[in-house]
Amino acid sequence: MGVEIIFKIAAIGILTAIVGQILKQTGKEEISSLATLAGLIIVLLMVLGLVGNLFDTIKTMFNF
Amino acid sequence: MELIFKIVAIGMITCIATLIIKPIRSDFALMIALAGGVIILVMLLNYLTSVFDTFNLIINSTGISSSLYSLVLKIVGIGYLIEFSASMCNDSGNSSLGDKILFGGKIVIMVMALPIITNILQIIAELLPA
Repeated sequence: MGVEIIFKIAAIGILTAIVGQILKQTGKEEISSLATLAGLIIVLLMVLGLVGNLFDTIKTMFNF
Repeated sequence: MELIFKIVAIGMITCIATLIIKPIRSDFALMIALAGGVIILVMLLNYLTSVFDTFNLIINSTGISSSLYSLVLKIVGIGYLIEFSASMCNDSGNSSLGDKILFGGKIVIMVMALPIITNILQIIAELLPA
């Protein structure tokens, strides 16, 4: 748990943007959109784990 | 004490990362903001543990029933969660959804507080001469 996840998400965002642009330039529109979607899902899973961690902490802390 | 520097640093890093990412991919900017917010909140919650330990000590020495205390604690927890998620929705542009989350939180807190209110009424009824 730390700042590195912020940098990770930012890096994945930049990477998927670049990959999407390259794929789009080479004429593979559908693969480009798939790559973008994959990046979004990876980041979503990371954030989901983080939010789940927060919920667990709150649950144990406030005696739910 | 060094926690405040950590929080400020994480907040600023999140802010700058969001600003950088926003023109490239606006949907990732929200994710970064969410991650930064969760990290700050988890750090704060770990810090709060000492406060809750002290509260527990005080409650144990006063003899107030611990079920009431845990109820209040739960309500505080719901308040934190609701505030966090509602402000997240507001940030993403869905301010009406944030308002609905706030409304739901208020209703849940009211339902949870009903036992306390009935408890107070019972105490008042016992105090009153029959």
